[in-house]
Amino acid sequence: MKRQQAQDLIASILEIPHDGELQVLIDGVERLGTRFNDCAVSQNALKQQATLTLSARLEQKKTSITINALDDPDLIRRSVARVFETCRHMPDDEEVMPAIGKVLASHEYAYSAESEAIDIETVGAWAAQACEAGAAAGIDLAGLLAIGKMFTACGDSAGGFAHERHHRCDYHVTATGNHGSGWAEHQGVSIAQNDVIAATARAIDKCAKAQNPEIFQPRPTTVILEPQAVGDLMAMALFYGFDQRARDEGRSPFSDYDQTLGRLSFYSDPADPAFPTVSFSNDGQPLTRSTWLDQGRLQQLMTSRYWARKNSIAAKPTPNNIILTGDGIPVEQLIADTEDGILVTRFWYIRSTDARTLGFTGMTRDGTYRIENGEVTHPVVDMRWNESVLRLLQNVTASGQPVATGEFIEMAMPALKVENFHFTSLSN
Amino acid sequence: MFDLLKLACDKAAKAGCQFADARYLSIQRQRVISRDLALSNCNDSEDRGFGVRVLYRGAWGFASSPTYSAAEVERVVELALRIARASAMALRQRGVEWAPEAPLKLSFASSCKLDPFAVPLEDKADLLIAANEVMLGNKAVMRAQGFLSFKRVQRWYANTEGAELHSDVTSSESVIWAIAVGNGDFQERNWKAPATTQGFESYSKAEFVDQAERVAAEAEEKLSAKLAPEGYFDIVTDSENLSLTIHESVGHATELDRVMGYEVSMAGSSFVSRDKMGEFQYGSREVNLVADNTLENGLATQGFDDDGVPGQRWEIVRDGIFQSYSTGREFAHYIDEERSRGSCRADHWSSIPIVRIPNLFLMPGKASLSPDELIGDVKHGLYFEGMDSFSIDQWRLNFQFGGNAVWEIKNGKKAGMLKAALYQSRTPTFWNACDATCDGSHWQAHGITNCGKGDPMQVAQMTHGAAPTRFRNIRICRGRDA
Repeated sequence: MKRQQAQDLIASILEIPHDGELQVLIDGVERLGTRFNDCAVSQNALKQQATLTLSARLEQKKTSITINALDDPDLIRRSVARVFETCRHMPDDEEVMPAIGKVLASHEYAYSAESEAIDIETVGAWAAQACEAGAAAGIDLAGLLAIGKMFTACGDSAGGFAHERHHRCDYHVTATGNHGSGWAEHQGVSIAQNDVIAATARAIDKCAKAQNPEIFQPRPTTVILEPQAVGDLMAMALFYGFDQRARDEGRSPFSDYDQTLGRLSFYSDPADPAFPTVSFSNDGQPLTRSTWLDQGRLQQLMTSRYWARKNSIAAKPTPNNIILTGDGIPVEQLIADTEDGILVTRFWYIRSTDARTLGFTGMTRDGTYRIENGEVTHPVVDMRWNESVLRLLQNVTASGQPVATGEFIEMAMPALKVENFHFTSLSN
Repeated sequence: MFDLLKLACDKAAKAGCQFADARYLSIQRQRVISRDLALSNCNDSEDRGFGVRVLYRGAWGFASSPTYSAAEVERVVELALRIARASAMALRQRGVEWAPEAPLKLSFASSCKLDPFAVPLEDKADLLIAANEVMLGNKAVMRAQGFLSFKRVQRWYANTEGAELHSDVTSSESVIWAIAVGNGDFQERNWKAPATTQGFESYSKAEFVDQAERVAAEAEEKLSAKLAPEGYFDIVTDSENLSLTIHESVGHATELDRVMGYEVSMAGSSFVSRDKMGEFQYGSREVNLVADNTLENGLATQGFDDDGVPGQRWEIVRDGIFQSYSTGREFAHYIDEERSRGSCRADHWSSIPIVRIPNLFLMPGKASLSPDELIGDVKHGLYFEGMDSFSIDQWRLNFQFGGNAVWEIKNGKKAGMLKAALYQSRTPTFWNACDATCDGSHWQAHGITNCGKGDPMQVAQMTHGAAPTRFRNIRICRGRDA
């Protein structure tokens, strides 16, 4: 949906008679996802839908309703009446905030004309090409090629409006041999045929080098974590640790914490070319660059509008992307500079083990290798690890260039070389 | 409602499809969230639409739309066919072998007695805020929270074989939790009202208030708990804790699509290869694991699955020996079974059905055995209650789980609470270490409402159950340094 269409639709909804304040959020998606395994397409689906969320505010009461019929004016009218009726029955909440009421410029940092032009047949052809590469190499390939064409628009009865179109392309592929597997991905707002070919070739190469893994007895050791592994961990850290109110109330790993977390910076910026994204939050707050760690020093964390007002500090909305800076050292050089360590392609199933110390557990997966005297010498059996992100960031000794990654949030992460990483048990 | 679904099937059949089905879903949800003495949100949602799946010249295509009209149905069928043609560019050599199923006309409804959507918001607020008030009455509690979540899914299904199926399932879920701060630490303790396909009748304010008091006291106690020991100990799990272990180490491990590599790139595969059927010692003789999509009030009890196959009951593990998998119609032939187990579900009208974990539970012990007697036979061990940290590898072998509250067991009795305790094992090692499970009077069911699988991710629900159970000599590690 283009900006003018969204503006007209939201204006027509805001004109529906209502008592208090009304906020409107529309999310639209057309997403083609082609899955394959054993070098053949197994699922192929097109999702086309839009959701409309109406939020009503009556003084210190607020509630919301979500429907998915944008083309049903009667239902929308009934839903406006219903959300205000429900709102009247809500108890007061001092944390309810008024609408933003700002008209925001459309940056569309994450819009890609190339992605917009990709059709069903193109995705089918690219997936088929990947499958052929796997068959030619004599290994099983499994993966997903998904193209998301989306828009987000919001407006409110205080005069606010924002709209952007955005794209999300996700290609990830696992190559499996008889005794080991490899993995690679391409993430971004755009994707080209060559990106699919290159990621497929990387996965096949990783797989070839992953056959017949040997046991490395789990112990604290030096690791080089490739970007997906770093991103998976930092996304969990963001969720569990980077909230200002929790910090102020003693419910955060950063409560009463004054140490420096290494020397890298951790920030969000919708305009960052490494992985751009939508430049406003769902309630119409503009998203600009927010720094969470400045060269390892903690800055103000995510802050709700209520907590910001109460403490006379700036609001810092939940971001749409996260970026960790790096030294720009190529992974090959990180390996060459490592005497004894483990190279990790990918993490899996990370879960919190201790919120106080930002402790997590997880597994290595799809390409874990021993480094000896600056060279990858052989694959190793996958391992479980238990590690604190606080300690990990302090133990980073070298890093790469941030590259796009991320399954659930847009991220750009460098490879990290980390000392004393705690592997604890063996997998398969 | 069936007319347009049959139109879709007819159009697909005329286009030459080997098989096609169409589903229309109407999904109603409400989620009421409390924070301290207020409701931080109440979100209602209504979501309707249909999806059409076609098997055309050996290739799958799927398309969907929220607009339910004859013209849109025709467009969506065309789109699904176009997608199937694109899929055919990389066609499976053996094609798709689709297990036969007699077409049925049936309707199923869950046993909701008190429609949660008709209950006034004030009653829901009263329940949650009363619990929060009790929790906040404990001075160590910094934050008290909770939610009530309700879902009603009405589903109409038709396929080219002539099936016409309808289901109407309401499910309910609630959790309250307290976060205590002090002693240089913060700790969370929760209580989950078992999620079921019942309505508001399963909730009572008195129980919420009772549980809230215990939850707050235990959150405070966790602050001063000592760190868990490390090493090998006997452990006892309550039914809620073991439900999640069953889910991760048995439920996912025995999904046949995973075994056949269909989920390799995301959720992973499984160590339970087909040659293990009928032979593999999954657990000790105490271990009997049964799948049952007809379980009363079970979250996966929906009458029939999204392949049009009625719910069934079957054995996964009998007397410790692995018996069979969860399957869908596309997968039954891989284990030479003529019929699907009816465990293929989609989470939305715009999602493709995939094999999902059924209702799955550990059968109670046959001999009379109470939790006190179970713990009484442990000299030094740990008792795990509730769900917490959970992680398992992509073969479903190496796992590590925590508990929402953990106690030390000394000389056959529960002693003080422990902090940051985790049990780590490998699936067959763990289940073979099971030496006793309590009798049926201590058996409880627990609903899982956030099971993620698929790529893109789909979220499913199912019920697990167990009685308190004992495992010998299990590795204990810590989530926090000493």
